[in-house]
Amino acid sequence: MDATSRPAVVIDNGSGYTKMGFAGNVEPCFILPSVVAVNESFLNQSRAPSSKANWLAQHSAGVMADLDFFIGDEALAKSRSSNTYNLSYPIKHGQVDNWDAMERYWQQCIFNYLRCDPEDHYFLLTESPLTAPESREYTGEIMFETFNVPGLYIAVNSVLALAAGYTTSKCEMTGVVVDAGDGATYVVPVADGYVIGSSIKSIPIAGKDVTLFIQQLMRERGENVPQEDSFEVARKAKEMHCYTCSDIVKEFNKHDKEPAKYIKQWRGIKPKTGAPYSCDIGYERFLGPEVFFNPEIYSSDFSTPLPAVIDKCIQSAPIDTRRALYKVKYPSSREKIALIFDLVQNSF
Amino acid sequence: MILLQSHSRFLLQTLLNRVQNLEKAVELDYHWVEFDDVRYHILVSMKNPNALLLSVSLPIPPPEAVFMGGLPFGAIEAIKAAYGVAVQILDPPRDGFNLTLKLNLGKLPPDEEHRYALLVKIASVREVVLGAPLRVVLKHLSSRTVIPGIDGLLAIVHRSKESFFLDPQPDKVTVVFPMRFKDSIDIAFATSFLQEFVEARRTAGLNNAPSCLWSPTPPLELKEAPAEALSANAGFVSFVIFPRHVEGKKLDRTVWNLSTFHAYVSYHVKCSEGFMHTRMRRRVESMIQALDRAKPGVEGRKKSPNSRSFKRLSLKEARANSIS
Repeated sequence: MDATSRPAVVIDNGSGYTKMGFAGNVEPCFILPSVVAVNESFLNQSRAPSSKANWLAQHSAGVMADLDFFIGDEALAKSRSSNTYNLSYPIKHGQVDNWDAMERYWQQCIFNYLRCDPEDHYFLLTESPLTAPESREYTGEIMFETFNVPGLYIAVNSVLALAAGYTTSKCEMTGVVVDAGDGATYVVPVADGYVIGSSIKSIPIAGKDVTLFIQQLMRERGENVPQEDSFEVARKAKEMHCYTCSDIVKEFNKHDKEPAKYIKQWRGIKPKTGAPYSCDIGYERFLGPEVFFNPEIYSSDFSTPLPAVIDKCIQSAPIDTRRALYKVKYPSSREKIALIFDLVQNSF
Repeated sequence: MILLQSHSRFLLQTLLNRVQNLEKAVELDYHWVEFDDVRYHILVSMKNPNALLLSVSLPIPPPEAVFMGGLPFGAIEAIKAAYGVAVQILDPPRDGFNLTLKLNLGKLPPDEEHRYALLVKIASVREVVLGAPLRVVLKHLSSRTVIPGIDGLLAIVHRSKESFFLDPQPDKVTVVFPMRFKDSIDIAFATSFLQEFVEARRTAGLNNAPSCLWSPTPPLELKEAPAEALSANAGFVSFVIFPRHVEGKKLDRTVWNLSTFHAYVSYHVKCSEGFMHTRMRRRVESMIQALDRAKPGVEGRKKSPNSRSFKRLSLKEARANSIS
């Protein structure tokens, strides 16, 4: 039995969340925050000459320095409950920032979550369209040298988004992918499965900014949310209640007419005192995603709305691909911001 | 994580998810593969949302291992003992699998704690099935008897076409693992890891652990074993298990740790490689820093604008500067 008879392992590392699973299933097995909690207290001692004493100290503490770390939700829980663990986010703005943390993250993904033997499976990893070749090389080095994978493919996630829309009735690998992640947003033109690298446009607004904007709105309205929880609450509000609208004025009117129907409630418990609290989630439900279409409501240095960026992107693509690119546009579902693309279409 | 957990994380997550949303009918069709070539398949249909079909396929047994009807001996009894009424064994199993279980989610214990314990047990189905023969032997050990009808060596499959060996005796059981690795670096790592492992057993804190030996050649217990099972490139590890290691609750843990010993070693080999890489990366970084500091050119260039403002240059020096 060789690796071809087993399903390939797919790991999609994003700045916010990592999605992993096996090829052939309809959805990933695990979706985890891309975060590692490392206990540094023993690591630094390993330089000391008395390695025997160090070993004993580790043994009596019940840990192994290089294995004493957690990823994902466990990491967040650990860092909250004890202060010996430091959180590190291995991926920033779609690029791997900390390779040590990244290697550990992969190690846990493979051995603790998917529980597979990396020697038995082909691997499919993803990268953002502007990843440097060096970083791809490094990824390959880790995968082949540490994990001994039999085969590896690193795909551009925008192309994979197009491949997800590839059906027997619609065999096209051409389109503009708006890849709105947590740390970076790209508009990527793809022609016949190839990324047109020179025309990629990046937008300095991403999922995190939507969260920050919602946080700001809620704070300004004076919602009763404890300071240390406000980012988390804003993130949950974004993921659970946000939607895009075609006309802000109409949407404001709708909310004002029937507040009971449109304003959502959030209930939580204050982490310090344990007292329950509740707050309203109102206009930010549609104002959050609106930062993509009217960026001036959020930032003063970037004011080009998303449709204009897409238009510019297609205009800069080679002339023979433009007609095809104007015809189809795919949303990438990397983040659960419902970027409704009728909207973009309407504004042309 | 130092030890591998006995339950499959994804299986447990799926089961919990399903049990919590029982009234919502969904269609599930997942398949995935775990280490040592254990495959799982889960099927839930819209028609009957309470029934969940869980199929498991085991690694291909080598000729010396005892398999009955596609399962290791004692597996059927172990499944019945572990799961009770909530689980039904379907015969024949799904095509391409060794075992298909039909879980009736309506029949789970109503009380939260028991239900969770049962789901964890179901998620550790590979421990129950693959560890069944080992469990039978160790059960007999705890009552200081030998299974009637079995004398001499017993082979138990743990990886595809590979097995480990048991030498059961009334007062002790010797477990021998031939260790095989594919990659030459892995072999080197595993050999030194196992030697360290044996060394660590001798420290004072671990007096009660099973005694453990590593040797590059097959130990005496294996003299009856077939020759092709004795080609190990990372030596042989043997553990001697005494009745005190399998008392009461310790039995489950011992069974799990022994039946996945190879996966455990290979996990730690990979971790050590990762750790080495981290150290190497750090070393390279510090060396690059040292090199940068030692570069004469960088410092000279940095200083040149300053020196110009302080020192009036002669014509000759000025020309030399402008060239450089």
